[in-house]
Amino acid sequence: MTHQELIEKAKADLGDALTSAEVVLGDAVLHTSPEQFRRVAEYLKNDPAMDCNNVSHITGVDYLEQDREPRFEAVYEIHSLTKNHTVRVRVGLDEDEPSVPSVTDLWSGADFAEREMFDMYGFDVPGHPNLKRLIMPDDWEGNPMLKDYPLVWEDIAFSHNADHKSELVQTKAEYETED
Amino acid sequence: MSITEQGLLERDKDTMTLNMGPQHPSTHGVFRVVLEMDGEIVRSAEPDIGFLHTGIEKTGENKRYVHCIPMTDRLDYLNPPQNNLAFSLTVEKLLELDELPPRADYLRVIMCELGRIGSHLVWLGTHALDIGAMTVFLYCWREREEILDLNEMISGVRMMTSYIRPGGVAFDSFPEWLAKVRKFVNEFPEKVDEYESLLTNNPIWLDRTKGVGVMTAEEAMNWSMSGPVLRASGVNFDWRKNRPYSRYDEFDFKVPTGDNGDVYDRYKVRVEEMRQSREIVVQALDNLPTGHYKLPDNKVSLPDRKKLHSSMEALIHHFKLVSDGIKVPAGETYVPTEGARGEVGFYIVSDGSNMPLRMKLRAPSFMGIPGMCKMMEGAYIADVVAIIGSIDIVMGEVDR
Repeated sequence: MTHQELIEKAKADLGDALTSAEVVLGDAVLHTSPEQFRRVAEYLKNDPAMDCNNVSHITGVDYLEQDREPRFEAVYEIHSLTKNHTVRVRVGLDEDEPSVPSVTDLWSGADFAEREMFDMYGFDVPGHPNLKRLIMPDDWEGNPMLKDYPLVWEDIAFSHNADHKSELVQTKAEYETED
Repeated sequence: MSITEQGLLERDKDTMTLNMGPQHPSTHGVFRVVLEMDGEIVRSAEPDIGFLHTGIEKTGENKRYVHCIPMTDRLDYLNPPQNNLAFSLTVEKLLELDELPPRADYLRVIMCELGRIGSHLVWLGTHALDIGAMTVFLYCWREREEILDLNEMISGVRMMTSYIRPGGVAFDSFPEWLAKVRKFVNEFPEKVDEYESLLTNNPIWLDRTKGVGVMTAEEAMNWSMSGPVLRASGVNFDWRKNRPYSRYDEFDFKVPTGDNGDVYDRYKVRVEEMRQSREIVVQALDNLPTGHYKLPDNKVSLPDRKKLHSSMEALIHHFKLVSDGIKVPAGETYVPTEGARGEVGFYIVSDGSNMPLRMKLRAPSFMGIPGMCKMMEGAYIADVVAIIGSIDIVMGEVDR
């Protein structure tokens, strides 16, 4: 099945669960909402023609200052290794409380990927069996991959400024929290 | 409460928590597994990936596309050309460059396959060392040195080559280098026989690896395993064959698969992959096309150095590319490639500027860790060492 046929089939079968579906640069892309995402994921996993049995990766994207709605997106790249096709699912997320249901019960390999998304973007993933920080320490504040989380820099100490070394090294970004 | 649950609760009191590792050379300092032990048997395994924190994805989103290339080297530092290739292919797809000069593709293939051999050599040496075989480690390092010498000769750097760039490769090959590659591939099969003579039928090796860390094909696919681990479980899937890139469809090679999905099969699959990579390099050397080694389009690749002295246009292009970089049309894409450890790919979102809006690496080591811990459940503690080694994780790409 070509990616164009795959999109046509998904549109016919899923109907209003998809907000849109298209082939971009040869990739099959489905757009959906967090409420309908589980339906799309179960369809991709269980439909015999889709037979998507492998999650390639899961990530978040932050479109801050990009003049588009919604600000956040969770992106799932899902392969069918038996049928040799790939579907990308893009889930637009609410800016205030970004949340997308877990798919670890469908694809066990999503475990680390969802935790990473939770850690780096702060998206809630209800249904995940072990949702906690993965890459950053447990007590870390903020989510480093957000566009409004500043880059950390470190001024290098040379012999002429070595005395001020402790002032030069900025190890943690100042992160604006609401409270 | 049923009797079984009661029994389990009572047994829980007897379990012991054990911090395992870092034990494998590539996990030193940054990876441990917290094991819940019932005597010698592992009940559950919880990975802790530590604090290597290179921050490459975040840094990449604040750098121009070309400047991301040296950073991709540092992700999978045992096979840097593959990361360069995955990144370059994704940028090229966004630029809608359909075809590169054939010579560029062939040089990419040679570097990637040499990188794969080099990476598998490190894996084989350290894996055998974990299980207690010292000689194999020394032998593997001997051949890996030759590959690093080849890297140095063509790119000036032994490990972080940054050789593959969007639009082609950084430098053209030359007869001395090609002769040295030819010499290496001619001598290599004998060396692989040597490793195999030490391990393949060795009773200790068989006892330590057969039936250990078994994963069925269904499980391997469900747990997002890729590359040699997936193929050792019997899934015949290789991106080079299933969705060829860089003219891999012009090469004749086999995709080795295993039957049992245990540590031994992963060993066999990787050893056979080294032989197949060698076949690919031989074919690439035999049929290396002449012509450009990078795209002659100076909007993407730098003009020839010589031209800068005589051509104003070349000078302008050079200045624009170095100072401003490539402008990539808005869009997003993902290109999977077959790395030494499995599926390596970059998911890039471009906003039309000269820096990626989102740069995400799909790392086989990272995605494979939950599956690896699944394999440990029910295994003996001594087998944990063999299982970690058989997955061949590289922490650079786990803790990006």
